[in-house]
Amino acid sequence: MLKIDNLVYSIGDFNLGPVSFSMEKGDYLAVFGPSGAGKSLLLELIAGLRFPASGSVCIDSKEYVNIGAQNRPVGMLFQDYALFPHLSVFDNIAYSLRLKKTNRDTIEKRVKELSDYFSIGNLLKREIESLSGGEKQRVALARAIAYDPLILLLDEPLSALDDDLRAEAVDTLASLKRAGQTIIHVTHNRNEVGTLASKNLYMSGGLIK
Amino acid sequence: MKIRSSFNYTHTLFILLGGVILLFLIAPLAGMFLSVKAPELFATLEDREVSESIFRTLAISALATGIAAIFALPLSYILARKKFPLKGLLEAIIDLPVMIPHSAAGIALLGFISRDSALGSLASSFGLNLVGSNVAIAMAMAFVSLPFLINSAKDGFAAVPVRLEQAAETLGASKFRIFTQISLPLAKRSVVSGLLLMFARGMSEFGAVVIVAYHPMTTPVLIFDRFNSFGLSYARPVAVIFVAVTLILFILLRIYQKRKC
Repeated sequence: MLKIDNLVYSIGDFNLGPVSFSMEKGDYLAVFGPSGAGKSLLLELIAGLRFPASGSVCIDSKEYVNIGAQNRPVGMLFQDYALFPHLSVFDNIAYSLRLKKTNRDTIEKRVKELSDYFSIGNLLKREIESLSGGEKQRVALARAIAYDPLILLLDEPLSALDDDLRAEAVDTLASLKRAGQTIIHVTHNRNEVGTLASKNLYMSGGLIK
Repeated sequence: MKIRSSFNYTHTLFILLGGVILLFLIAPLAGMFLSVKAPELFATLEDREVSESIFRTLAISALATGIAAIFALPLSYILARKKFPLKGLLEAIIDLPVMIPHSAAGIALLGFISRDSALGSLASSFGLNLVGSNVAIAMAMAFVSLPFLINSAKDGFAAVPVRLEQAAETLGASKFRIFTQISLPLAKRSVVSGLLLMFARGMSEFGAVVIVAYHPMTTPVLIFDRFNSFGLSYARPVAVIFVAVTLILFILLRIYQKRKC
C-alpha cells in the first residue's frame, strides 16, 4: 500500500533520513518520538508538501516522489486543523469535492454521509470560529477523507484537545480504523495511540530507531 | 478612604499634543469650506468643465487601480510568500515612488512615454500619442500610488497562515486556486484597503499628472490652473466640491468595507 524507501531530506541544520518503512491497506501506523524528531516533516514528505533530496514514496505501486500534494491520494489532518475560516462547515467539507467538479447532489449526499458519521450534522451552516476544539477536529477529519484518500495522515491530532475531549476523539479515530482507513498518526505521546495503532515506529533525530 | 484619581498628567499632555495635530488637519479644510459662498458653489457645480474633470479623475483613478491590481496582487503575493536574492532591493524599488518628488516621477514618465521612447513610438505607430492622454494620466496616477496597494496586499497575504494553503493543496487545489479561493479571500481586508488607498492617492495626484498631461485636466490640475490664472477665490469652490465628492465616496466605501469584511 505505502512503501517509503531511503527518504532523505534536509532543512537548515536538520537532516531527516534515510527513512524506510512500509504499511498495508487498513494499517494504523503510529509514529512517535520527541519534539523535533522530524515526525511532521516525514508526514509533509508523504503528503507532497515537501520534496525529498532522494528516496521513494510508493502508494499502491505508483511512484509519487516527484508529484505534488495536489495530485497525491493522501488526506492530511493538521495539528491546528487548518480549517478555512472564511468558509462554512459544509463548504470546508465539500471543498475537495468541488475541486473535482463533483455534481451538487453527490456533494450534498457525501457531506450528509460524513456529517452523520462524525455527528456534525447540526454544524453544517456554522462558521468555523464558532466551533469547539472537538468539533473542529471532526470537521477537519470529515474534510480530509471527503474525497476518499488512500492514506490519511494525522499530525498530532489530539494535542489541541482538552483531556475530556480526547477520549471522544480517540473513539472517532478508532471508528475510522474499523472502517478500513489506512492511517499514519504522528504524536509525541505514545500513550495516546496505545489502543489504536497496529504498527509503531519510533523517530528521533530524523531517523527511525 | 483614598480615591484613585483617573487624572494622568502624561495622558493629558498627549491629548493636548494630539489635539494640536487634529486641529492642524481640520482647520485648513474647515476654513476652506466655510469661506466658500453658496452662489459661487452653485455656479461651480453647474460648470461643465468642473464636473467633467471630477468624473475623469475618479474614472481614470478607478481604472488605473483596477488594471494595476491585476499585476500588483500577484507581485504582493510573491513578496509575502517567497524568499529570493535581492528581495530587499525589489521592495526598495517598489517604495521608490513614495520617496521621490512626484514632479520628478512625472519627468521620468514623460521620457518613458514620449514619442522618442520605445513605448511612445510603438503607440505612435498605432496613431496614439500617449503624452497628454488619459492613458498618461492613468500611468502617472498608478506610478505614484502603486506602493500603497502592493505593500498593503503584501501584509495581508503574509498574515494568511501557510498551513491553510497547504491544507488546500492536500485537498487537490492548484496553486492558482489556492490563491483565488484561500489567500485572496482571507487577505481581502488588506487588499481592499490597498485598493482604496491607491485609488485615493491616484485621484489626488498633481505633480506627476501635470507633467505628463496638463490637458485633459484632472481636478487637481484644474484647481491649480484656476488658482494660477484667476486666483484663490476662483479655485476654492472647485477644491471644496472635489474634497466633498471624495469624502462622500470614501465614507460610502468604508461603510461597504465594514459590512463586507
